[in-house]
Amino acid sequence: MTVAQLKQTVQASSVAPSRAAAEAPQGAPLLKLLTCGSVDDGKSTLIGRLLWDAAGVTEDQRAAVTLASHNRSVNGERIDFSLLLDGLQAEREQGITIDIAWRYFETPGRRFIIIDSPGHEQYTRNMATGASHADIAILLVDARHGAKRQTRRHAAICDLVGIKRVVLAVNKMDEVDWSEARYRQIEAEFHAMAGSFSFAETTIIPVAALTGDNVAYRSTTMPWYSGPTLLDYLESVDPETEPVDAPFRMPVQLVLRASGDFRGYSGTVTSGRIGVGERIVDARSGLGATLRRIATMDGDRSAAVKGDAVTLVLDTDLDISRGAVVSEVPRRPINADVIETRLVWLSETPFDPEAGYLLRTATDLTPVTSMSVSALVDFETLQAQPAHGCGVNDIADCRILLGRTASIDLFRDLPLTGNFVLVSAIDGATVAGGVITWAQAGAPTVGDNVFVIDRALLARGLCADLGDSPHDQAEFSRRAQELAVVMRSAGVPVLVEI
Amino acid sequence: MTALTSHLKLLEAESIHIFREAAAQFRAPVLLYSIGKDSTVLLHIARKAFWPAKPPFPLLHVDTTWKFREMIAFRDSTAREFGLDLIVHTNHDGLARNINPFDHPPSVYTDVMKTAALRQALDAGGFDAAFGGARRDEEASRAKERVFSFRAAGHRWEPRRQRPEMWQLLNGRLGKGETVRVFPLSNWTEGDVWRYIALEKLEVVPLYFAAHRPVVTRNNQLIVVDDARMRFEPGEKPEMRKVRFRTLGCWPLTAAIESDADDLDAIVEETLAAKYSERAGRLIDHDQAGAMEMKKREGYF
Repeated sequence: MTVAQLKQTVQASSVAPSRAAAEAPQGAPLLKLLTCGSVDDGKSTLIGRLLWDAAGVTEDQRAAVTLASHNRSVNGERIDFSLLLDGLQAEREQGITIDIAWRYFETPGRRFIIIDSPGHEQYTRNMATGASHADIAILLVDARHGAKRQTRRHAAICDLVGIKRVVLAVNKMDEVDWSEARYRQIEAEFHAMAGSFSFAETTIIPVAALTGDNVAYRSTTMPWYSGPTLLDYLESVDPETEPVDAPFRMPVQLVLRASGDFRGYSGTVTSGRIGVGERIVDARSGLGATLRRIATMDGDRSAAVKGDAVTLVLDTDLDISRGAVVSEVPRRPINADVIETRLVWLSETPFDPEAGYLLRTATDLTPVTSMSVSALVDFETLQAQPAHGCGVNDIADCRILLGRTASIDLFRDLPLTGNFVLVSAIDGATVAGGVITWAQAGAPTVGDNVFVIDRALLARGLCADLGDSPHDQAEFSRRAQELAVVMRSAGVPVLVEI
Repeated sequence: MTALTSHLKLLEAESIHIFREAAAQFRAPVLLYSIGKDSTVLLHIARKAFWPAKPPFPLLHVDTTWKFREMIAFRDSTAREFGLDLIVHTNHDGLARNINPFDHPPSVYTDVMKTAALRQALDAGGFDAAFGGARRDEEASRAKERVFSFRAAGHRWEPRRQRPEMWQLLNGRLGKGETVRVFPLSNWTEGDVWRYIALEKLEVVPLYFAAHRPVVTRNNQLIVVDDARMRFEPGEKPEMRKVRFRTLGCWPLTAAIESDADDLDAIVEETLAAKYSERAGRLIDHDQAGAMEMKKREGYF
């Protein structure tokens, strides 16, 4: 049989309607959950236990973990469930979690993505990475110790990145003789702490990860607890959904050109919906157009909603490029040049007002003209205290002045156009991640005083050595963007139109 | 739309977003095309991300010369069908030294013919970003990967120093000497890949479907004899058995499984019910503890 014939066979076999594909988990299709809390409170063990008992572990992984547990034998003959998560050699050698682990499993009811985060203060940047991707958080405490400073820091980071539903798992209940009195004490402390945050829903569950009590199976040793097991909770909780009438936003990732004069703006809808025939606007330039097509390889669509990756074709060519936010006309983003933010500092190099930074919002990269810290969150009281500097793992309130305006929203209104990371202009490192809490609209930057970097200008000089190959054209574009960054840093409003 | 297809559509949209972010931010990306099911999905999504234009980067296949013949035929016809630029690279120095999977331990063979070959090809092409089809559910060190996985000079992965990656924001600014591996399928599982292939009616290498093939059994692993270079042990003789592959690589190092699954629905069912992980059939991953992490530190994708 030739390959062509074989391929035909393969093609033919896939035409029949898919039996298995029809048997779908129902309800919210996907739940992303984070585990966090202080070091040694048992996060990896809890998730390992959940996977072990809820059948997310294959036979060869079970065998490998059983063998490794016995070789290590810190727990006697017990299985060390954390070995399911701690995949780096350094983690296994030291018995700690360094970076987040991503695990995937399905129960008959739901599909889960689990993000297991490290507890050590040193690796807070990794925990913040994990938290920003989660719908809900499981915050662990050791029943013997209650909430620690690092527990409060993690709770504050969950709040900062926009997590609305938090479960406090009071772990190691076996170590406090399954004491209801101890549990009630921790519950009261937690309610007091949670008052400092804007969580929509908090739940408390007493568990013992080592023995599995109240993880996937109901505990028989804590008859005083009548709430859900952790697995029950995870199968029934629904992630926060956006209001039905959220304003439409699509940050432009690329301008796509193809044969037949095709010109479209590609991006992922971050909120709301848009339909063909409706008016859109670019907030930065104020230019408007009518949506003519929503083009995808699977055919044109009549409308696009939050989460869709699409290409928009307009009735007139707008002079916009990557970084623009296409929006509906009535409720536009703020065209801001001053923002107030709350951020978590991730770099080991502390904030330096003299260092160069760039603000990365949805798809835009804007030079920071100046930046100042006004307050730091105190992890004992959870109150913001006046301050002028910040360093690694701090949560700080900062004011940022931009070299030009950027189209942004407030995080509490539209999270995906209201978040950002701060990038070092020197080495490209991500030094902080944060949310926009307030913004001041600047003057529109498109007008007579905007310098336009066009193709002809660069081809005469800076890019005179480049030809037509894809490699050279990519280099052409890189030089244009870098030149724009330099000029903007010097305070010159620039548009790149190549 | 069922919950399942909406879940696959979410994954697809996320992957398209990642492709576009990388194409917008890197100077010279390349797609590591290794011909298997993950590469098939990766390439399909790359085509969707830039449609109606072609993906703005070439495909790169690192050919160890030990791939199944059907894989090579599939690779060439795929590149032709979609009109894509295909770069094939072999480590000729390794070939000259006759590094092969029979005479050398898997770690040595992989290091020379795959890892070093990949470094050579990326350096020769001047690529600053390489798309790969790796998924976090494959293996414990992969579960720790970022979507934009930065590599220091010499392509080294430093797992203790990974860049923070918050929300949907992908920061692609490179430091000196840095390159990036980009993993658009990070959040897909093996089951998702097959369900998506069925949903989108994608062609895959026929080796994934059960058929009668010549097999020898070694260390409880089924090895399909693909060409005349096979080294038989005394008394060893291939027998025809109905087998298929969950994962494809170099034929002497990739174990088949006994199966009757000869269509996509059967494969999806078998995958979801599997008691063993996908990489149980990858001999190179079991050579020593932490084998994948070590390979990645050396520059493997």
